[in-house]
Amino acid sequence: MANQLAFYFDVARCTGCKACQVACQDKHDLPADMRWRRVAEYSGGEWVRNQDGSFTQNVFAYYVSVACNHCEKPICQEVCPASAITKRDDGIVLIDEDKCIGCRYCEWACPYAAPQFDEDSGTMSKCTLCVDYIDAGQLPACVAACPSRALEVGELSELRAKYGDLAEVAPLPEAKLTEPAMIIKPNAKTKPVLAKAGRLANPEEV
Amino acid sequence: MDVREWALIAFTILSQMAVGSFIILGIVYFFAARKWGEEEADRLSDRALLAIGPVLVLGTLASLFHLGNPLNAYRAIANVGSSWLSREILANVLFIGVGAVFAFMQWRKISTSATRNVVALVAAAIGVVLVFSMSQIYMLRTAPAWDTIATPITFFTTTFLLGALAVGAAYVANYAYVQRKEPGCADTQCEIMRSTLRWLALASVVLVGVHLVVLPLYVAYLASSDVAAANDAVNVLMGDYGVVFALRLVLVFVGAGILGAFLYRNASSPGREKILGNLAYAAFAVVLVAEVMGRFLFYAMQTRIGL
Repeated sequence: MANQLAFYFDVARCTGCKACQVACQDKHDLPADMRWRRVAEYSGGEWVRNQDGSFTQNVFAYYVSVACNHCEKPICQEVCPASAITKRDDGIVLIDEDKCIGCRYCEWACPYAAPQFDEDSGTMSKCTLCVDYIDAGQLPACVAACPSRALEVGELSELRAKYGDLAEVAPLPEAKLTEPAMIIKPNAKTKPVLAKAGRLANPEEV
Repeated sequence: MDVREWALIAFTILSQMAVGSFIILGIVYFFAARKWGEEEADRLSDRALLAIGPVLVLGTLASLFHLGNPLNAYRAIANVGSSWLSREILANVLFIGVGAVFAFMQWRKISTSATRNVVALVAAAIGVVLVFSMSQIYMLRTAPAWDTIATPITFFTTTFLLGALAVGAAYVANYAYVQRKEPGCADTQCEIMRSTLRWLALASVVLVGVHLVVLPLYVAYLASSDVAAANDAVNVLMGDYGVVFALRLVLVFVGAGILGAFLYRNASSPGREKILGNLAYAAFAVVLVAEVMGRFLFYAMQTRIGL
């Protein structure tokens, strides 16, 4: 059994099609306004003056697909008063709806906006890493759905050996806050974490 | 802002007012008993003490409206080991419990006054832990606008400011009651009330000073921060809710500062009980509104690092 399952995301491959997000909503039968996986669009750019006095633009945009990162230091679990959030031996962080009191404290705490409030049940919900699929040896719905193979799932240490250990880029938070089990392969335009070069272009979608 | 946020505003304001009232009542009782004797101090405090209970229970009931799944509310103390929210609820329950035991003992004069003092001190200590836990809930490393020393400072300032003015209003109401029911004791009670209100007025002027020093420093700190979420919180406070923020500062200054100063003056000379009463009620009402607005703004400034 794995010690810590993790997502890998390749910025260069992502086209922002949101197949991962929709596959997740379909698999878990989520309402349209609940997105356990979301695709953040980060964009910016300005006019740069060249030496000859002419101007060129350096507009950029890229996508970051984020779900719950099943953090190694899950702040949601730390703050949950009801002890409703647990971390399995394989690292998957799960919310037990039967124990949740719906105080939404985890929602305040999580810098990835992973725990989301379910108005119908009055409890919190979030990405389960498709734990039923994982236990059956299958891929999570988001990973399986990605047409450009920008997403992978695997053991964190193995993914790190293969792709490095970058886990923070703009517009994500600093990795030291929760130690997310995530690896990001940046593309040429990807800005570092805390960069002010661009902005989240689709805040209503994440 | 929906019902759930208002539930939190009601809960935090009412519990803090209850803790502040309990502690201030205890301090006043201590000095009043030394100067005028226990019997007169009891006559001053006992009814006010019993009034704290309903405030606490009301606040705790309000907190249930914050929950999406209140049937599981008993689970809120399941993570005392790492969640400040659990610690807060545990302290809240203990404060209600020990406070109720003390109030009952004091009401029926059970056991010696020394024993009752010990129970009261334990309850007061739990009350301080309760307000401290409340402030720690918001000091999340992912919420930069909340994660500052200003959170505990303003929570404790609110606690004692509301406590002082609520107790002041309670003494005035108590005096009116004593005048009607026990006219023989009215003169001494009048003297105690005036003397006490002077100190409470002084305390509220000092406490509003703390607010008016800390709040601008806090806003300046957030504005100068290089964390985007902290700057966003300033924009909410000064932009979206600028009028509310200004009104909150004016009201707390008027209620605790100006009315507090009038209260102090009028309590200094005898024969002004009527105006003294109206001033004490008005100061409490105005500051209560100001503190509710302040807590509203506190929750409105909920901005988080990340997505």
